[in-house]
Amino acid sequence: MSAGPRFGRVATGVAQKQLEALAQTTPGVVSAVLLSSDGFEVASLQVGSAGAARLAAMGSSLSAIGSAIAREAGIVECTRMIIESDSGVVVVMGIPDARPPLSLAVIAREDCVLGQLLWAARNCCVTIARAFRE
Amino acid sequence: MVEGEFKIVFTGPMGAGKTTAIAAISDEPPVSTDVVNNDRVAFDKELTTAGLDYGHIALADGAAVRLYGTPGQLRFRFMWDILGNNAAGIILLLDASQADALVQLDAFVDAFGAGKRSPIVVGVGRAAAAGALPLDAFAQRLESRGLTLPVFGVDVRRRDDVLLLVDTLLCLLELGDRRTA
Ligand SMILES: Nc1nc2c(ncn2[C@@H]2O[C@H](COP(=O)(O)OP(=O)(O)OP(=O)(O)O)[C@@H](O)[C@H]2O)c(=O)[nH]1
Ligand SMILES: [Mg+2]
Repeated sequence: MSAGPRFGRVATGVAQKQLEALAQTTPGVVSAVLLSSDGFEVASLQVGSAGAARLAAMGSSLSAIGSAIAREAGIVECTRMIIESDSGVVVVMGIPDARPPLSLAVIAREDCVLGQLLWAARNCCVTIARAFRE
Repeated sequence: MVEGEFKIVFTGPMGAGKTTAIAAISDEPPVSTDVVNNDRVAFDKELTTAGLDYGHIALADGAAVRLYGTPGQLRFRFMWDILGNNAAGIILLLDASQADALVQLDAFVDAFGAGKRSPIVVGVGRAAAAGALPLDAFAQRLESRGLTLPVFGVDVRRRDDVLLLVDTLLCLLELGDRRTA
């Protein structure tokens, strides 16, 4: 068993700052993890390391299954998945054109405003995308 | 004859060939959730399964089999339980050229109920590779734990080899049915 891959330190640093900004400016955000498409944690916020690793693996499974369903349905590319419950929301979004492919998973409380959360998470993804394209 | 539709789960460590095996036998192109593999140290290949594989085969005797593949890497362990739920049988694939193949044998056999929940058939690949463990080593390891599971040497890229595993599993299911009937 290997220790897992390393992702670029500069880009990871940018991502970490963006996750912090997301949590500070968006009411209701509980935690967030930037993850590789194969389920490794790249950066995380407000989750213990075991929690971040689990969330990264689960987020990547979700996003891989979401993409497979989108392909099956002929709608080409899954850009985000939203899991809603009475006690909170989980959003998994693809980071556009990142190399390696990445996704952002955000967990928010039920009192968050979904539109605001999605908009803020989207902006966060766009900024992170820039860092992982350079 | 076994009748109806069966759910079979292909499992085993990264690179053993679960995705390849399902693609080799599925009647239609399988559903794949393979993504870019960032851990070339764990196994040097381009893609790895993050969600599941899904395929389907209709057998000559009217039975149909739904084929599910698990991810192999341990961090996706939660998918093993989800996919293993209600499986009629398990096909465990291993790579004899990996140094930890016997440890993986134990780990996956245990994770999937040690043959007590549903029958397990073991397919060992690359047994002819230089430095690979012999097939006997796998059977002996199981025996030392008081388990007798069928063990076959297979090349997961070959349809006939994979079908042999499926057929064996269906035979075990049929035997199980007779015993409980
Ligand atoms: N040369 C050689 N290649 C093999 C043999 N058996 C399997 N392979 C190759 O090994 C690879 C197995 O990859 P996958 O089918 O993705 O393995 P997997 O078990 O689905 O792996 P994960 O989804 O990452 O857990 C494929 O590229 C096969 O072609 C063999 O006997 N010889
Ligand atoms: Mg696979």
